[in-house]
This record gives sequence, structure tokens and C-alpha cells, in this order.
Amino acid sequence: MAGRIIYHVIVCGIGLIMIYPLLWMVMSSLKDTKTIFTTANQLIPEQITFQNYINGWRGFGKVTFGTFFMNSLFISIIATIGTVISSALVAYGMARFKFKGRKFLFVSMLATMMLPAQVLMIPQYLWYQKLGWVGSYLPLIVPYYFAVQGFFVYLIMNFINGLPVELDEAAKIDGCSYYRIFTKIIMPLIAPAMITGGIFSFMWRWDDFLSALLYVNESMRYPVSLALKLFSDPGSSSDYGAMFAMASLSVLPAVLIFIFLQKYLVEGISTSGLKG
Amino acid sequence: MGKRIISLSLAVFLTVMLLAGCANKGTSTTSDTGAGSKTETKTETKTEVTSSADQTNAADNAGLTVSWWGNQTRNERTQQVLDLYTQNNPGVTFDGQFAEWADYWNKLSTASAGHTLPDVVQMDYKYLEQYVSNNLLVDLIPYIDNGTLDVTGIDENILNSGKVNGGLYAIPIGVNAPALMYNKTLLDQNGITVKDNLSLDEFMALCKEIYEKTGYKTGAAYGDGDIFIEYTMRSLGSILYEKGKLGATQEQLQKFFEVYEKGISEGWMCDPSIYTERTIGTPEQMPLVYGSSPATMSWCAFSYSNALASLQNAAPEGTEIAMTTWPADDQKAANYLKPGMFFSVTVDSKNPEAAAKFISYWTNDVDANKILKGERGVPASAKVAEAIKDQMDQNQLKAVAYINNVVTPTSSVINPPAPEGSAEVSKLVDQLVEMVCYKQITAEDAAAQLFQKGNEMLAD
Amino acid sequence: MRNNKFNLIHFLNRESIAGLVFSLPFIIGFFMFLLVPMGISLYYSFCDYNILSPPVFAGLKNYIKMFQDETFYKTIGVTLYFALVSVPLRLVFALIVALILFKTTKATGLYRAAYYLPSIIGGSVAVSILWKRMFAIDGVINKLLGAMGLPSEFSWLGDTRTAIWTLIILAVWQFGSSMLIFLSSLKQIPSTLYEASTVDGAGKVKQFFHITLPLLTPTIFFNLVMQMINGFLAFTQCYIITQGKPMNSTLFYTVYMYQQSFEYSNTGYGAALAWVMLGIVGLMTLLIFGTKKFWVYEGGV
Repeated sequence: MAGRIIYHVIVCGIGLIMIYPLLWMVMSSLKDTKTIFTTANQLIPEQITFQNYINGWRGFGKVTFGTFFMNSLFISIIATIGTVISSALVAYGMARFKFKGRKFLFVSMLATMMLPAQVLMIPQYLWYQKLGWVGSYLPLIVPYYFAVQGFFVYLIMNFINGLPVELDEAAKIDGCSYYRIFTKIIMPLIAPAMITGGIFSFMWRWDDFLSALLYVNESMRYPVSLALKLFSDPGSSSDYGAMFAMASLSVLPAVLIFIFLQKYLVEGISTSGLKG
Repeated sequence: MGKRIISLSLAVFLTVMLLAGCANKGTSTTSDTGAGSKTETKTETKTEVTSSADQTNAADNAGLTVSWWGNQTRNERTQQVLDLYTQNNPGVTFDGQFAEWADYWNKLSTASAGHTLPDVVQMDYKYLEQYVSNNLLVDLIPYIDNGTLDVTGIDENILNSGKVNGGLYAIPIGVNAPALMYNKTLLDQNGITVKDNLSLDEFMALCKEIYEKTGYKTGAAYGDGDIFIEYTMRSLGSILYEKGKLGATQEQLQKFFEVYEKGISEGWMCDPSIYTERTIGTPEQMPLVYGSSPATMSWCAFSYSNALASLQNAAPEGTEIAMTTWPADDQKAANYLKPGMFFSVTVDSKNPEAAAKFISYWTNDVDANKILKGERGVPASAKVAEAIKDQMDQNQLKAVAYINNVVTPTSSVINPPAPEGSAEVSKLVDQLVEMVCYKQITAEDAAAQLFQKGNEMLAD
Repeated sequence: MRNNKFNLIHFLNRESIAGLVFSLPFIIGFFMFLLVPMGISLYYSFCDYNILSPPVFAGLKNYIKMFQDETFYKTIGVTLYFALVSVPLRLVFALIVALILFKTTKATGLYRAAYYLPSIIGGSVAVSILWKRMFAIDGVINKLLGAMGLPSEFSWLGDTRTAIWTLIILAVWQFGSSMLIFLSSLKQIPSTLYEASTVDGAGKVKQFFHITLPLLTPTIFFNLVMQMINGFLAFTQCYIITQGKPMNSTLFYTVYMYQQSFEYSNTGYGAALAWVMLGIVGLMTLLIFGTKKFWVYEGGV
């Protein structure tokens, strides 16, 4: 009993440090925007105001944050579905099969992760322009249906490698095709990895502002990540209050998704399926 | 479960492809109309000089993309003016695009690589030369000649700042001037007055006096790049950037670094560490208005006249911010009026005629400027500036008075726009000032390094 | 006809073919979305290029320039230091916290969310402002030290020796993604193994070293590879907080590359820097893969 209390005290204490920044951001968003900097060292606002939320939600020139949130949700969800499914397929292919060019594919996949993303900005833009995709959401969505982020492939591969090969072989002897093995046996077992990947992917797509900046032109179609930056202008004044208010809201979807999905990570389906 | 996921993924996949189809259609139709208007304008440019009656036709039917950087206020007011213009000219529709300053330039340069620049872009003096020398902007003189673009209200000197190699590539949309913002309340309390047009030595003596009396230090153009060194070089009769080399001698450069060296050794210069704790350039975090003790604060800030409102806004309750000139030994040679921002028409515009007409409207229309309220700086047209005086707040009126009464009588023409490579030199200046303030090198070393490396950077 | 169909199914079910079919999305994606832009950027690295006008071929000029560039060496040093310190720390924290939070109780869900939060808010403006405020002369850190009887007027961000540590702490603090991966792999370890060893009388510590750790090594390896690559390519921490100050002591390689590419209009040089980075990270990864056989348990469960 005493042990459990100590456990919770320690975990809670460190947890507080972990969420302090978020707490700070939310508290700052409730302060008068003029006092955010001068009272940065004190967490609790002297006077709570929701004015920042009203100002922020108003958005820019007729487009409210409601629109930005819908855009972000659309892009992030659609792109995440693509990433998870395509990465799972590729991961299975590369983890379980021996075929010509597999090594080459694996090395290329790692190599694509080693080039700083910033350097590809211009070349990618020129290429998507050739494809006629500039000005639409396509560059923000379609590539993710082709497992372009090696991280996810490698993540799931690593997971599949941890599954006993005997499972596949038994199914094969029973006359299952590889495609049935994938959908019937592998997919349920790698669900935790797919969920983990889904959480990351959603979060990364949600935070990505660079591709939105380059490829989305109409302000009506801006995602939240890009819109948040519009509150600041180093040349004149910035509305930090409104920015923090909207930034606090923008953390919500990722947090909710995490809380909703995390239990599947550990309480998932797989325990029964595995035999030592 | 597996099947469901697969069928779901297929469904999503198909939707995406469908969307792809739609978007492609969308872009292709717009580019179709774009091509249509392109041929139109081409014939237009041919007839340009002879008849201007037809042109108004082309200029009255267009879809224009206008892009700018700025904050929420600017975004809203600009959008309102665009709407107003469409109301008055139903044939012209706008796509207003805005981004944050750094993002804006990334987006613009990327678009230039793909030749998809917006029709009208908000331009900064820092970037003007680059965009002109890479042939990305349209010379607007023909549109002035044919009457589309009316610039008669703009002062000759201001207008000329948009000129590069004889062509006019940018129309100023807000006037600005270097201004030393200071904490008037603090100085009044201690019986210190600041006069305009201080010399460098007088300025340093003042800094020392203030430090001794109040403990407040001096934040002198730290991390702001080349603005103050350029000013100091002007007062010494040199232009910092010439084509392919630095225009100042090593001895002249040294004078600039000596200010920092002296300030640090006498103690009145802000410690460089305080800047690592703030985002440099944001008014809210300048040591003039923000800090927990006099040792981390400054009595002044090197800024521009249109920043008064934001600084006053960020200052603690009861603190009055006032402005005077930056210090220089020869104020007439050093000081200048600076267009805060410009509008330019890009070569990718399918209808430069309509774009020029819009800029003309922006410059001269009183109703539009009543909406804008001089948010980008004092309107370039004197007539318009006078007409919207009632719309301005007290800070803006102070800025107008400062420009008219202090700067205009004692100033000269602004330096030509900085050439390619200057951005890197500007960063080098920051780093050298930083090293002088950390006492890593002397002012003499800093000047020698700037002279040598700066010339190399500009040469290639 | 029926025969044909049968053959096709049979053909698709051959191991070498099925592997290719499953890998097809990446094969297409690689050629369609990755290879071309990478090729273009490689070409840029041999050019004088400023984005605004077309690239002009310049041979090895950019690569030669690198050897004489002091800042290049400086940023490599800073980046190596950052990566080699922050990555191991991050992994250790992630593993410990994952082990602590693995046991499912009512509260763990919330705890997990709390520990993952820093990774969610990532590189936002709020983090950049907060971090600077925390480590400021009059910030929370110095106040805490004062309360503990160690009055401090130290400027953590303003000193060349400590500024990099504020970034390392930020990186370590955002260990959530590694933690999540560890959590999902811990799940993969069959509970029967623990049950069997408990019957054999093994204690918790022994179980950890004989069951948990060996079976986690593939995941540790995966995290190490990924985090090393991320560590070398780290950008955000420096870009939003220090911008390299003071005196380039915190200037990350990628931030320098970004400055060259987009701020100084030396885009060709920036591309060359990127490709050299790819070489360095590639070598590093090769090295890590070389050690794999010595410590990674490959036997499966």
C-alpha cells in the first residue's frame, strides 16, 4: 500500500513537470494579452478573461478558426489512414518475404530519412507543380498513400519481426494465401504498432505547416498550424493572447485521440494470439 | 476486421483519387481562363502606347492574386479594401494571400522558382534588388505613362526609392523613418531631456548618465543586422553596400563597433545575454518595454517611426514612449525617409494592367485608406495622408509629426537597395557585435573581420 | 480462361512476387515522390543557385567551399554533441517511464497522456517563449535554485557552456514518441514467459534482465537508429529557441543549412550541406547496424 502511494506521488510529481508547459500555455491564454510577458513567471492569471478565445476564433478576414480546424482534421485524418495502411502493407512485404531488390528498397527507405526535409522544399514544389497539384490538398495527402515516410514502415517491420514465423507457416499449410495471412493474422497482431503509428502520423500531419504554406493558397483552406502563425508579425504587434488561446485548442484533438487510442496499445487484442 | 479495414482503405483511396480529379479540373479551368486573359493582355501591351481606351477594358476584368505579410489587423483591413474594390469594379475579383513575415518570403521565393508568383506582392526594401535583378518584377513606368497608375501624390524622393537601374519596380505604400524610441517617463522623473539629432559622442555620454542615475542600460540595435551600421556609415559619407564590395573603409567600420566596445567596458550597454532570453525584433520583448530590473532593461530602442503604436502598446501602464533620431555625427547625411512597404507587380501576372490599376487605387483612394487607417505607415500620397488624419490615433499622429518636422528637414536620400549577399553580411555584423559584447574580440578585430569577410561575401 | 485466372493467383502467391506486391506502394512512392526531388536537390548541390533565378552548373565549388567554412565545422561539432548526449538520455528516460507506466491501472491512461503531452506541443511558439522564460536570469529555474538556498544570477541561455544544455533538456523532455514505441513492444512480450519464470522462482529484477530487456533489444535498436537520425537532423529546438546564440555555440547543422539556403540565397551551398549530412548520418547508421549482431536479440519469441 505504501509502495503504491509512493509510486503515485512520484509519477504525479514528474507528470506535473511534464505538463507544466501546457498548463502555462492555457493559463497564459486566459490572461490579458498585454500582461502575458510581464507575468510570464506566474502561472495563475490575476484576472481570468476569455477575450483571447473570442479574438482568436474570429480568425482572419471572414474565415474563422472553425474552418481551419475542419481543414486540419480532414487533411490529418485522410493522410494518416493512408500512411498507416500503406506502411503496414510495405512493412509486411519487406519483413516477411525474400525478393530481389529488397535490400535496395530498405536502404533507399533509410536514406530518404537522412536528407534534411528543408532541402527538398523547392525540388518538391517544382515536381508537384509539374503534376499540377499546387494550390490543392493533393501534395498534403496523396504521397502518404505510398508509404513515403520510412519511419512508419520500419516501425511496423520491427513489430512484425517480433511475431513468431510459425504463425504464418501454419496458416500457409492450411492453404491461406499471403494476402489472407496478412488480413487475417498479421493485421490484428500488429494493431498496437499501427495505432502507435496512427497517433504519430496524426500529430505530425496536424503540426505540419510547411507543405500547407507552399501548396495551399486560399486562406479558406489553411490548416490550423498555418493559421496559428498568422497572429504574429515581428514588424508590428503580435496577438500572443489569441495565439495561445488557439494553440491551446489546437492541442486538443491530438490529446483526445491519444487518450482514446492509448488503451488499445496495452489492452489490445494480441495477448491471446501469441504462444511462446 | 481485416476486411473492413481494407474496404475502408479502398474507399478512402478512391475518394482521394476523386478529389485529385476534381482539384485537377479546378486548376485546369483557372489556368484556362488565365491563358485566355494572357492573350488578351498581350494584345493590350502592344496597343498600350497608342490607345488607352481599350486597356481599361482588360483592366476591368481580371482575377488578381494579392499577397502580403502582417498580423490579424492588417489581414482584416486589407481584405476589406479588396472587397470594396470588387464592389466598385465588379469585373475584378481577388484572391488575398497572407502569411507571417518569414513564411511569406519562403513562399514567395518558392513560387518564383515555379513561376507562379501572385500578381501583386507586398515588397520590402531589403528584398527589392534581388527580385529586380532576377527579373521577377514588372517595370511600372509604362503604366504611369499611359495613365493607369497615378503616382502624382507621392513625393519624388519617396517614389524614387522604388527605382532600380532606372526602372520603377515598386510603389511605396507607407512612409517610415528610423526613430530612437525612449522611455520618456523614466527620463522625466530623473530630469533628463533628450534633444533631437544627437551626435554619437553626445549619445554615449547620455547613456552613461542615464545608467549612473537610474541603473537602466542601453540596448543599441543588437541583433538587428545592418541597420545601425549602415546609418553610421552614411554619417561618415559612405554607403555600406556597393556593387560587389563594401563601400566603407575598415577605419569607418571600426567607429561603429567602438560604440559597443565602449558601452560594455563602461557598463551602460545591455549585457548580450539578455537577448538570448527573448525573441529579437518582437516589440513586446524589447528591453525598452520588457524586463524585470533596470539591469535587464534599456531606456531606448533603435526602431522605426511606425513601431510607436506597438511599443506604446507593449509598455507598462503609465510609461510614455517618445521618439527622436538615431545618433549620428552628420545627421543630414545619415537620416532618411524609408518606405515601410511597397506593392510590386510580378512578371508572372497575367494582367499587369489590372494589377497596376489596383495599386493606383490603393495609393489614391481616400475611402480605401480610411479603412486601412495608415496601418502600414503614413500613406505615401500626401493628399491621402492629410485626408485620413481624423482616422489616425495619437501614436500615428506623433509619427507623422516626427517625419514631417524632424526627419524631412534633416535627411538625405535613402541608400540604393542592398545587393545579393547583403543578408549574409548583415548576419556577420550581428555575430561580430555579439563577440565584441562578449569581449571575445576588440572593435578593431571586428572591423578587420567585417572588412575582409564582408567583401568576400559580396564579391561572389 | 479459368486456367489463366488460376495461374495469376498462383503467380501472385509466389513468395518473391507477393513481397513485391506488398512493397508496391513504397516502390511507386519512392520513384514518384522521393527520387525526383532528391535528384533535383543533388543537382542543385553542384550549382550556383539562389532560388530566384535558374541554377547554373558550378562543379564541385560548393563542396570545396565547405572545407574552408569555419561555421561548417563548428555546426558539425555542436550537432554531434547534441545528438550523442540527448539521444541516449532520451531513450533511457523513455524506457524507464514505459516500464513504470506499463502496468494498467485506472490512472495510467492519464499518466501516459501527461508524459506524452510535451511531444504533442512540440515546436510551437508557446514552447519557445516558455523555454526562454524558464531559463532566463529571472526565470523559474533560478528562482527554484534560490529557494533551495543556491541563489543564482546565472544566464543559462547566455553562456556558451550551458546554452546547448537547454536544448538538450528540451529534446529529452520530449521523449514521448520513444516511450510509446516501447509501450507497444512491451505489450508484445507474452505474459506466459513471465508466468513461467515466476514459477521457476525468478524475481522482478531477474525477469527484467532475462526476459524484458533481451526481448526489447530489437525495439531499442529501432529507437536508437531513428533517434540518431532525428538527432543529427534536429532543427526545431535551435530554430525556435536560440537561433544559434550565443556565438554559434548552439547552431545546429540543419539550421545553418537552412540559413544558407533561404536567408543568404546560397541555395546550392545549402543543398551541398544537406548531402554531406546524408553521408555523415549514413555512416553513423551503418556503424550502428554494424553493432547489431553483438547486442540485438534476433531469435523472436
